[in-house]
Amino acid sequence: MSEYQQFLQERDRIDFLLQNEYKIKKITENLSGAFVEFEKKKHHKDESEYATIHITTPEARKYFSVILIKQQTEDA
Amino acid sequence: MADLRINFAGIESPNPFWLASAPPTNSGYQVQRAFEAGWGGAVWKTLGDPILNVTSRFAAVSFNGQKVAGFNNIELITDRPLEVNLKEIYETKKLFPNHAIIASLMVAPSQEKWHEIVKRVEDAGVDGLELNFGCPHGMAERGMGSASGQVPELVEKQTYWAKEAAKTPVIVKLTPNITDITVTAEAAVNGGADAISMINTINSLAGVDIDSWNTIPHVGGKGAHGGYCGPAVKPIALHMVGECARNPLIPIPISGIGGISNWQNAVEFLLMGATGVQVCTAAMHHGFRIVEDMIEGLDHYLDDKGIASVMDLVGKSVVKYSDWGNLDLNYKIVAKINADVCINCNKCHIACEDTSHQCIDMLKDLAGNSQLKVREEDCVGCNLCSIVCPVDGAIDMIEIPSGLPPMTWNERQAALGVASCDSEK
Repeated sequence: MSEYQQFLQERDRIDFLLQNEYKIKKITENLSGAFVEFEKKKHHKDESEYATIHITTPEARKYFSVILIKQQTEDA
Repeated sequence: MADLRINFAGIESPNPFWLASAPPTNSGYQVQRAFEAGWGGAVWKTLGDPILNVTSRFAAVSFNGQKVAGFNNIELITDRPLEVNLKEIYETKKLFPNHAIIASLMVAPSQEKWHEIVKRVEDAGVDGLELNFGCPHGMAERGMGSASGQVPELVEKQTYWAKEAAKTPVIVKLTPNITDITVTAEAAVNGGADAISMINTINSLAGVDIDSWNTIPHVGGKGAHGGYCGPAVKPIALHMVGECARNPLIPIPISGIGGISNWQNAVEFLLMGATGVQVCTAAMHHGFRIVEDMIEGLDHYLDDKGIASVMDLVGKSVVKYSDWGNLDLNYKIVAKINADVCINCNKCHIACEDTSHQCIDMLKDLAGNSQLKVREEDCVGCNLCSIVCPVDGAIDMIEIPSGLPPMTWNERQAALGVASCDSEK
């Protein structure tokens, strides 16, 4: 699989979570790439659901970074 | 006609083209010939205690048919008594009162020595002084030149001593043989320098003869490192000028030196913050009259751009020069091969396949003709294919929308930092 195809897959996984009301909660970057932790707050409850995606392509690392900046701007 | 006059730290010159302190400015005869040819100023070959030179002093590096792509020298400062040089400076200034004559100076690092030479040289009528803290060979072994220029405290102290005695502007010429030239530039500022000039030559060994095993050049079978200059060093010099020009702690004019061979090179240095330029290797290669093309080319360039004065060019590209962390990660260009111009030599394919990102396919069109095509989605816009392509116009690097807003590395890291902090809450 080309790196571009891999990027598309990773972008789709990010978009899927965003469409399901998840938000980026935490990002851990290390030698293996980036681990992006998403959080979805449940309605009327003080509980959350979590999901983590392992991002390996540079284009997807740029992509989630843009999402994060946008999210922080909206939350500010 | 545009106004080519410059005012460099108070030194006026009919144009921004000066000869650098070097063999071309060794004598009054040479400097007068240079002024007659059109040079706006000259930095006299460095004055100090007269030295002894060796024979076999220069060597050049030719590359792929280009003669003197780089130039190496092991010649030292003037070997003539100070009185002889001063007499010729006085005579030359009298003949060319509107041209700039700068005296390059190098003495041992003592206050008394600097005071003495500054006073004697200024009495001859020079327009300014250039402190040679850059010469990398010979004199450095005696604690002068780049040996001084590599120690910020010595740069500051000696600049201060020269300024104590000087009535004319003091330019500090910096060595590139240092990790960060802004450190010594700041030291010059702290010492009271009116301006800085850069770069002096880079430590070098031009080559080794693989038959005789002698160095190039050699002096009776023995060699020593020299100073490298010429077109090959231009990118290094341009970077150092830009680094100083954009540093707010270095708010003094810069004289750009390093591989300037034509008016276009000069414009680059002016745009990157130099108020004037100094030239040596190109004059040694082609003679003083190359300045005619430089003046004419610069004049036409300014007229074409509608710019009235060359001074209006100074520093215009500095704001565009930053740190890597401030570049937009989402700016995207890709290669586009123009099939009607491409000669199908496959150099781009080989370069991309072997050493870059494997995104140029060798295809056949319907008629069975070879065709090279870029897979844009895999192209990272590195430029390598267009660099190795032997045909002008065969490969264009074109901007394409990334679909993402601009984002720098610094902005990204700041956002990630906030995310980490928030996640701890």
